[in-house]
Amino acid sequence: MPLVLVSILLPIVAGALLVLLPRGDRVLSRAIGTVVAAITFGTVLAAGTGDWSVRWLSRPFESAFHFGATPISYWIALLLALCTACAVAACRVERTRDFVALLLALEGTMLGLFLARDLLVFALFWDLMLVPVFFALIGWGEHPATAWRYFIFNFAGGLTLLLATAAFGIIYGSTDVIGRGGAPLAGGWAPWIYAGFAFAFLVKTPVWPLHTWMPPTYSGLPSPMVSVISGVQSKAGLYGFLVIATALLPAYVHQYATPLMVLGGISLIYGAVVALTQNDAKRIVAYSSLSHLGLIVIAIASANPLALDGALVYIVAHGLFSAALFLLLGYVEEREGTRALPRLGGLAWMNPRLGGALCIAALAALGLPGLAGFAGELLILIGVYQAGYIWPVIVALVAIVLASAYMLRLYQNIMNGPQREDLPIRPDLTWLEGLAVAPLLAALLLVGVFPKPLLNNAATTSVQSGTLP
Amino acid sequence: MTLSFTNADWSAILPVEIVAAAGLAVLLADLFSGRKQWRYVSIAIGLLGVVAAGIVAGRQFGHDYDAFFGGFMTGGFATVFEEIVLVGTAGSLLLYGSIGPAGRVAGTTAIMLWSACGAMLMAGAANLIAIFLGLELLSLGLYALCASVDRKTARESALKYLILSSTATAFLLFGAALLFGATGSVMLADFVNPSLASSPIFWMGAGMFLIGLVFKLSLVPFHTWTPDVFEGAPLPVTAFMSVVTKAGALAVFARFTYDALPPGLSAKLLLPVWIVAAISMIVGNVGMLAQVDLKRLLAYSGIAQIGYIVVALAGGTSLGLRYAIYYLTAYAFMNLGAFAVAASISGSDEDGSRLSSYRGLGRRRPWLAAAMTIFLLALSGLPPTAGFLGKILILAVTVANGYIWLAAALIVGTAISLYAYAKVIRAMYAPEEAPRGGDLRPFVPLAWASAALCAAVVIAMTFYPLTPSNVLPLVR
Repeated sequence: MPLVLVSILLPIVAGALLVLLPRGDRVLSRAIGTVVAAITFGTVLAAGTGDWSVRWLSRPFESAFHFGATPISYWIALLLALCTACAVAACRVERTRDFVALLLALEGTMLGLFLARDLLVFALFWDLMLVPVFFALIGWGEHPATAWRYFIFNFAGGLTLLLATAAFGIIYGSTDVIGRGGAPLAGGWAPWIYAGFAFAFLVKTPVWPLHTWMPPTYSGLPSPMVSVISGVQSKAGLYGFLVIATALLPAYVHQYATPLMVLGGISLIYGAVVALTQNDAKRIVAYSSLSHLGLIVIAIASANPLALDGALVYIVAHGLFSAALFLLLGYVEEREGTRALPRLGGLAWMNPRLGGALCIAALAALGLPGLAGFAGELLILIGVYQAGYIWPVIVALVAIVLASAYMLRLYQNIMNGPQREDLPIRPDLTWLEGLAVAPLLAALLLVGVFPKPLLNNAATTSVQSGTLP
Repeated sequence: MTLSFTNADWSAILPVEIVAAAGLAVLLADLFSGRKQWRYVSIAIGLLGVVAAGIVAGRQFGHDYDAFFGGFMTGGFATVFEEIVLVGTAGSLLLYGSIGPAGRVAGTTAIMLWSACGAMLMAGAANLIAIFLGLELLSLGLYALCASVDRKTARESALKYLILSSTATAFLLFGAALLFGATGSVMLADFVNPSLASSPIFWMGAGMFLIGLVFKLSLVPFHTWTPDVFEGAPLPVTAFMSVVTKAGALAVFARFTYDALPPGLSAKLLLPVWIVAAISMIVGNVGMLAQVDLKRLLAYSGIAQIGYIVVALAGGTSLGLRYAIYYLTAYAFMNLGAFAVAASISGSDEDGSRLSSYRGLGRRRPWLAAAMTIFLLALSGLPPTAGFLGKILILAVTVANGYIWLAAALIVGTAISLYAYAKVIRAMYAPEEAPRGGDLRPFVPLAWASAALCAAVVIAMTFYPLTPSNVLPLVR
């Protein structure tokens, strides 16, 4: 069996088999889940750009179960496997067995999405990856309405994606097109197809004003699940922009650049300002995500090769630091029973390792040179400027300053200051808890000082058709 | 002209004859059962007949033959619809194994088989008389089946169905009379005459004929009987109606719209039908939102699902028909599966059809809940189920035929429907939902097997999308 198929099926099958364990099991399911996720990381790494394909439909358009990593998706798939392994290792929730099963199912479906080389398969996994999250939201969410908001928003996006895919297939004759270049589509229905794709991707990312499902989802779910959703699932939309909207319909990238940049710019500023005012630690990171991802939308809309490279670096960087931040905030919440900033403070005195880890993650998020966030931001800013868009650069610079403000506020309010009398004193990170976040932090540093392997991928894959500057 | 039928004529309707004979055999066997009723014997004989008919019908696939002077046409189209009818019948019969009226199962089984004969006749009928014969045979049985349990709602359901269905039949019959008046023929083949396009009598006849069909398909605005009748009828009968009646009506509808209209007329004449289908997709899905009973929910769902299928026929392409058949097959399995789960958790009063019975099912019956989840995902068009693939195939063919607005209505309707289906999933799995009191029924072999089979088919159809190629309805 080809490795690429193994990496998709292994987590799904293993997740399904976990139900054979006794219902109340906590330790074994977590251990098995971590091992499976680690093996999946290995298979994704080993599969490289290996390819596997089998015919699915020949009418009304050609379609195949075609899997294989593109230079872009290879890195995102690795990010996903890493995030999932860390999330499962850090998983301490009620009904652990079922939760780990859902995490693994989520990993498998998302790997299917990122490794799909066929548009219809992409659309299939796009809808499929909503299901584990919906189950997690109804089983572990803080508020029932959150599940509906998440599901209905994203399902609506999935439906426009489906309609656009159908129309694309009918016009183009085949959906086996991802990462393949080929003749781009233009004229006729093409602008509407682009709009259908764009709507789905913008809901998923999300950008303002389609983001309202996101803050409650991120704050209402247990941290391990959120770290995977915020770290990787939110990248599905950006990935779609890179390999589908930009690569297959390049004629409309310039045409729609300004509206996309406006949406991205509003998300940038709006997310940053709201993050400054929130008191719920997880919501701060949620709104900071809105802000950071707005920057990537701007980068993709500029269609500048440098900015596209920066977008991929920043996609990976954001995945790493937001996963780390959510996991660490989960530790804080477990220890102190709250994540409200006014009630927290002074944790670093008794939890220096937790404080240090949160410090690294927060610094990466605010774009400190040497960590991954900086490399991505810098490339994007230079690229967007090169492409001749001045105002988005100014907006982004303002937002980056605000990012320092809210990230430092988050860190200081939790870790610094005098020790709070009313908070219980808990032991520092155990070695297992530390081990769960260490790979993420190490990767942040690694990508920060050596982003070279990630460069020259996005631009070449995304603008293969050669119609872009 | 002397009418004499050859052996070939009789062997063309062999599947129908086998099912009819199975009905008689069920009754005969029941004579020997004495005081103790042989529920499983009746079901076994019925299933045996259905399977035999399925095999015989399958062997007819691809052999076009014009039996009874064009009254019944065998070949791809008839075979496919016969098989769908047989699947629906088998699925409904299996439900009698786990639930069913306290009275004799033999009688209801036999009537159900004869009703299925009517639907199978409709699948192959190519003249107005055969269509009417099939329709009446199907409906007459259903009136009795609806009333086959001693329950107030069942009697109400039977009476409602009798009155409204008769009205629709009257429309259909009057339309048929006008068609005959305009053409001087009962053969659908004779309607493909360009000079008829300007005949007002033909227009009226075709319109009334279509109204009768749309009623049977339960599209808006002729849908209001469906929820009430479905709710009152016994569970197996509801399952039967939701699949078999619609398959039969759809076969006639497809044959009539594809091959029996003068060229140039169909676009104008059928536009109202597509509009009706678009409205059905919205109204059916909105109607689902407030339901608290599974049978009512599936009734509204069926209104929308038939809307999706009819949409695929817009444009009259052979590809559209293939995808309509694909979706109808998938729909049959999703619906039968959902009813099988309902039967598995029902007591004698069919409480399994109340949505409140599904609370906490994920903990008490994880396998049944998982199967139900698959059916609900399929009905809402989510992967990895045939519902997903069926939707995209229908969308593709609708876009290709230039009916973008129908595709848009389909998208909007589907988006609305998600809440109604996912609400049931939520009730099954949310930890705060207290399970309903009382004991659940233990393992119910037939219904569990049927649910498992349906779930497997619904998933397998996604990855092996079989759509038979030569299924164009023929009239000559």
